[in-house]
Amino acid sequence: MQVTFKDVTLSYDGKRDILKHLNFVIQEGSLVCLLGPSGGGKSTTLMLISGLLAPTHGQIYFGDTDVTKEDALGRKVGMVFQNYALYPHLTVQKNIEFPLKMAGLSRADRAKKAHELAALVHVDDQLDKKPGELSGGQQQRVAIARALAKEPSILLLDEPLSNLDARLRIEMREEIRRIQRETGVTTVFVTHDQDEAMHISDQIMVLHDGHIQQFSTPKTLYASPDNLFVAQFIGEPVINSVPASALSHDLAGVVSDDILSRAQTAGIRPEALTLPQRALDPLTTLHGKVIEFDQFGRESTAKLDYNDLQLISTEMGQLPHNTQELDFTLEKKGFFLFDADGKRIFGGDDHAE
Amino acid sequence: MKKAASVLRYVILTLGALIMILPFFWMLSTSLKTQPETVQIPPVWIPKQLQWGNYVEAFKAAPFARYFVNSVIVTTVTTVGQLFTSILAAFAFSKLHFWGRNLVFMIFLGTMMIPGEMLIIPNFVTLSNMHLVNTYGALILPWLASFFTVFTLRQTFNSVPDQTYYAAKIDGASDWRFLWHILVPMSKSTITAVTVLQVIGSWNAFMWPLIVTNDENMRTLPVGLQAFTTDAGTNYALLMAASTFVIIPMVIVYIFLQKYIIAGISNSGLKG
Ligand SMILES: Nc1ncnc2c1ncn2[C@@H]1O[C@H](COP(=O)(O)OP(=O)(O)OP(=O)(O)O)[C@@H](O)[C@H]1O
Ligand SMILES: [Mg+2]
Repeated sequence: MQVTFKDVTLSYDGKRDILKHLNFVIQEGSLVCLLGPSGGGKSTTLMLISGLLAPTHGQIYFGDTDVTKEDALGRKVGMVFQNYALYPHLTVQKNIEFPLKMAGLSRADRAKKAHELAALVHVDDQLDKKPGELSGGQQQRVAIARALAKEPSILLLDEPLSNLDARLRIEMREEIRRIQRETGVTTVFVTHDQDEAMHISDQIMVLHDGHIQQFSTPKTLYASPDNLFVAQFIGEPVINSVPASALSHDLAGVVSDDILSRAQTAGIRPEALTLPQRALDPLTTLHGKVIEFDQFGRESTAKLDYNDLQLISTEMGQLPHNTQELDFTLEKKGFFLFDADGKRIFGGDDHAE
Repeated sequence: MKKAASVLRYVILTLGALIMILPFFWMLSTSLKTQPETVQIPPVWIPKQLQWGNYVEAFKAAPFARYFVNSVIVTTVTTVGQLFTSILAAFAFSKLHFWGRNLVFMIFLGTMMIPGEMLIIPNFVTLSNMHLVNTYGALILPWLASFFTVFTLRQTFNSVPDQTYYAAKIDGASDWRFLWHILVPMSKSTITAVTVLQVIGSWNAFMWPLIVTNDENMRTLPVGLQAFTTDAGTNYALLMAASTFVIIPMVIVYIFLQKYIIAGISNSGLKG
């Protein structure tokens, strides 16, 4: 189901707006991640989509239908919570059957459907157990099966993986992607783990401070961040951000004077600083000192001093030992300038998507 | 050293247990004594000859069958009724958001500060205005709501995450359905505990039934025990024999449900 927010504002207490004039469209059949720092309003947005919370202002559409006044049941959403919210006194099968029972399906139909779903999420050998007897990953699967039971118009997941260990997380996120592809259900997934978001989503919505900072594909988000916040939030190691004035001498003639005069902050991805002989699409050459160099396996980080500013590079693997000073290349890709409001005014690709 | 500590612990625990059990032992022992033995000094611990006849005599001394029926009716209706109202109220205080919820809750909480004894007279006046004195109504009505029970249940309901409530809503469960099919079963052990405490409380209630009934037919067991105290003094042997069969049902309840009572009191309520 396509989901549309039209100028949606939400305030819990009537004083402070948690979400401010949200406008977006989630395409039917896609998997969208809501990403952002804690308190950014991700869960709140999900609650609004689900109908558990009503917006203070604005409209919500499912397809062409205005569902603003409909509750969760009317919107036919399926939801998986961070703590799974399984019913501990019921068996796995009864848990999956619960929404079907509420919908008035016969016992036989319920059992059949529960078995199918259990097979889909690979818990068909656990049907007689209680949730307390399952591992975190298994509980997670049961929660997904239960959410899918009533063939929801949209599947909502609120940080479903945050209780799992690192390995299982990676496994489960692939599982969620697989299940989403197999069922084709429109899915909204909340996370504050950018790695998770980058790997599974068709599109990512970055939420911060009650605003959508950017809503685009993972690739675009990384290659063309709309603003400084997104540039700093996405990427590991974190983007180098330095005052644009420090670079103005080296950028003169490369970047137009008009842009340079407006630029406040420069963002340089760690992989955009390379050795001249390995450069692909150089913007300019900088000169600096090596402060520290670490190599572990195939990865390396170099800390460079440029005009008394510290820059991190991950592309200096070939750096000869005991290098003190060097010329290094600033690549075009991965270099951005932001104005005083944090808006990107140089770098990236404005025609992406 | 370690061993000594553990021996000491056992000695203390055993002493504690003995002190707790002493009144029961004394009751049983007295119930099997002859009249003179009950007041003899030094006290007689084990009667020379066990007077089983005391039990028969005690049972005949007053209409205990009637008292028993009254006690069962009052205890059952009080417990069920109080549980029902408390579960509804606790649910509202825990999971529903309505205007003034916290204020109402604070006011109710405040009422717990009022000693029960202070309510006896106003309650009596109210009930006599309603012409309910000497009826089951008087015995039951004042106990149909208990904020202590509401409070205990609310604590347990609060430990059930709101997400579970939302999940049930999304699954299509009404509030009513969620309450009885999910929240209550999830809180089984606390509910059992407060039920048992309430059963024991109303079974043993003395003051209130004594005040609102003077008709023989409306007496409950604990009040009925007065039959053995007359102007001529108290027949302790018979009184203790009667007391024994008054408390036996509670002892049985306790033995079967002690697991839940302990869990409920230590409020680890939710493991299920
Ligand atoms: N029920 C509520 N009542 C009042 N304020 C709330 C409520 N729920 C959330 N908030 C506030 O709304 C803001 C956004 O919260 P939200 O839970 O949507 O953030 P989030 O992005 O999901 O964060 P997290 O990553 O920590 O889950 C926060 O400032 C929070 O304090
Ligand atoms: Mg959240």
